[in-house]
Amino acid sequence: MTHALSEDDIYRTSTQYRLWSFSPESLAALRKKTHDLALERAQRYACNDNGDVEFLTQEEELRLVQRYCDQVRTTSDHFKWPVNVEATAVQYLTRFYLTNSTLTYPPKEIYKTVLFLACKTEATHMTLSEYARRISTEAEVVLAPEYKVMQALRFTLDVRQPFRALKGALMELLNLAEGMVGGEDGDGDGEELQAQMLDVPPPPQGSKTQWKHPGAGKVGAEQLHDRIQAAYSAARNLLDAPALLTDVYLLYTPSQILLAALQLADEPLTSFYLSTKLFASDSLTRPKILATISACADMLAAFSPSQVLTKDDRNALEAKLERCRDPSTRDLVKAFAAMRQDGSGEEGEGVRKRRRLEREKSQKEGDDLFGPSLQRPKANGAGG
Amino acid sequence: MATSPALDVPPEQPPHKRQKTATTTSSLHKPNPSSPPTTDVASHLDTLERSKYRKGAKLGSGQYADVFSATLISDPTRIVAIKKIKVGPEAREFGISYDSLREIKFLQELEHPNIIKLHAVFSTKNQNLNLVLEHLPQGDLLKLIQDTANISYTPADIKAWMLQLMRATWFCHQNYILHRDIKPNNLLIAANGEIKLADFGLARSFADPFQPMTYNTITIWYRPPELFFQAQYYGDRVDIWSSRDVLFRAWPETEMGMVKLICEKVGTPTESNWPGVSKLKGYVTPSEITPLRPFEYWKQSFRAIGDTGVDLLMKMLTLDPRKRLSADMVLRHGYWTAEPRPSRLEDLPRKGGGAEAMGEDLTRRGGEVPEVNGKGGGKGGKRGDGVARKIDFGGLG
Ligand SMILES: Nc1ncnc2c1ncn2[C@@H]1O[C@H](COP(=O)(O)OP(=O)(O)O)[C@@H](O)[C@H]1O
Ligand SMILES: [Mg+2]
Repeated sequence: MTHALSEDDIYRTSTQYRLWSFSPESLAALRKKTHDLALERAQRYACNDNGDVEFLTQEEELRLVQRYCDQVRTTSDHFKWPVNVEATAVQYLTRFYLTNSTLTYPPKEIYKTVLFLACKTEATHMTLSEYARRISTEAEVVLAPEYKVMQALRFTLDVRQPFRALKGALMELLNLAEGMVGGEDGDGDGEELQAQMLDVPPPPQGSKTQWKHPGAGKVGAEQLHDRIQAAYSAARNLLDAPALLTDVYLLYTPSQILLAALQLADEPLTSFYLSTKLFASDSLTRPKILATISACADMLAAFSPSQVLTKDDRNALEAKLERCRDPSTRDLVKAFAAMRQDGSGEEGEGVRKRRRLEREKSQKEGDDLFGPSLQRPKANGAGG
Repeated sequence: MATSPALDVPPEQPPHKRQKTATTTSSLHKPNPSSPPTTDVASHLDTLERSKYRKGAKLGSGQYADVFSATLISDPTRIVAIKKIKVGPEAREFGISYDSLREIKFLQELEHPNIIKLHAVFSTKNQNLNLVLEHLPQGDLLKLIQDTANISYTPADIKAWMLQLMRATWFCHQNYILHRDIKPNNLLIAANGEIKLADFGLARSFADPFQPMTYNTITIWYRPPELFFQAQYYGDRVDIWSSRDVLFRAWPETEMGMVKLICEKVGTPTESNWPGVSKLKGYVTPSEITPLRPFEYWKQSFRAIGDTGVDLLMKMLTLDPRKRLSADMVLRHGYWTAEPRPSRLEDLPRKGGGAEAMGEDLTRRGGEVPEVNGKGGGKGGKRGDGVARKIDFGGLG
């Protein structure tokens, strides 16, 4: 009557898979299109007299967004928010810039919004006023782009993450080490697998794990336990900056990402683990799965913190951006306030009219109250 | 206090300067006011979605939304419900509300015959969120089962409704989603009689079991004991308790009243039947201890659902959440395959006739026959035999 849904079945129904998963080619094409569109638009607003405005290149746009993904991480850490808030916010920012250019919406103005949105969707509670105060921003600045962000996210808010499944892998590895698990084919003997696991060759040079083979003699149960824990923590570290500041979420599934991280941590242990899981898969799919995991691992391994823009580089890029950005989206706060003024729903027109009448009326009364002004203010009053 | 890392980010430009740059640029370089506004793929898609529907009459309104019926412009025979989120004064303190974000987040991920279908979301020019939902014209289960003047139902009907609810719950849990607000008024009924779990405004994911959660969710009548005792860590079993909470005929007004009722009907939670319970922060029980109620006691109250039904009920209403059945275990229980079999959809009781039903004729798909007076036509020989009435479905959910 029920059959358990596999992680894969479930993943394939997710919006992350349906809307936010790409091949490397389609991802590159989408980003290029967004960048080109922004340049095209820029030709309209920046046909400068001296005509030498320099625009951000696509590469520069990417680097700037990456820098703000890192900013999201440090800000989330500052609030001591759980990692799922951080990961969700980073994906929101990444997804936002798949269809928006930094020329139109500089990330400096968007990142606070995505982080607050992620805080809400990941069930972490903080009021807007406290959030705004602690990042020294005005509340309106946080809220103004919220609908724009929702729209760019295509109203999908769930971000599937590899953290839970990595914990699951840790549990399975520990159970294997205890001799508690048979192979996937059903007749595998727990003790036999345990023995094989003790014989797994040591992690080669360059592995991310801190664990070292004790040297002489065989690995004992306790050392195996340590090895698993060390592989887990090394993999967990890879799920932070390397996974969040590269494109792996857009290109791979959460289980591929966690297996890639484990592989970088301790390759022989991971391939043993995979052999217990992929036992049943046929000779065609198996190499495919392994190749995908390796490709993901390569991408994680290629990341280095030094790739993230320094503060100076960022400032220089933003100065450049300031000269070439789209002026029509410059004041989001004002646009947002105007939107709110219009009130709710289709009655907008009526509400606007009533407001105007009220305004005119109060202006008249104001005039009466303070006597007729000698110089009428040009606009409808100062500030107001 | 540590300095905020956000201080590292260059401050916004002062507003007047922004203004100035903006106006200069636009006055200088935008000679053509009709040049296309900023547009991107996502906003284009949003506009497209919005223009697909023609809004009709209001279907109802809830705490934070108005619901309208609407038709597809391309095919006016297709009806949907558009739930327009109200923007209240609290928006200033939170922006888009937690409730609407949760509803959107989870419904976007869930596709199941017994869970309300979210077709799309779009926003309007005034930044209102609109959820395009499947149209469920038959009201909710609470209204149906309370309409005892016109409707009666059999044990087979109960089983059919429960089965659909449990399938929906199972699917949520498979997706690591807790509904946390399962109750009859959140079960809407489709034109074909199917039950649809709706209102995910309180849902959350339980991806990380080590993250504390709030305990004062779930209307108290459907709230499992671990939440009364303020457990910070709970799981899928909260929905199971709510799902089969049929036994409480009374509607206490206080939490303590509800705890008392649970103690009386199920038994008092103690260390022996629920190890660790006395260490929960909010653990308080009436001083007089009621031992766990035995099978025979339950059977007296729930004869209509048969022995297997009573067995299942007891296992769903087990005090200790660790021993309570999961949705998966519930679905594997013998109750569903025991006699009587669950009613077929077309045999389930419907909402009474009248003007409303006439209006809804328009929504019926071809070939469907309207129910006569909600009594299920002539099929209901067994209906109203009084047996089913023994179960007070005021508390189903
Ligand atoms: N999909 C739907 N089809 C038909 N009517 C609906 C639908 N969803 C909601 N309604 C009607 O609108 C009312 C309010 O909707 P609800 O989702 O409960 O809003 P809230 O979340 O604000 O409580 C419901 O009681 C019901 O009458
Ligand atoms: Mg409601």
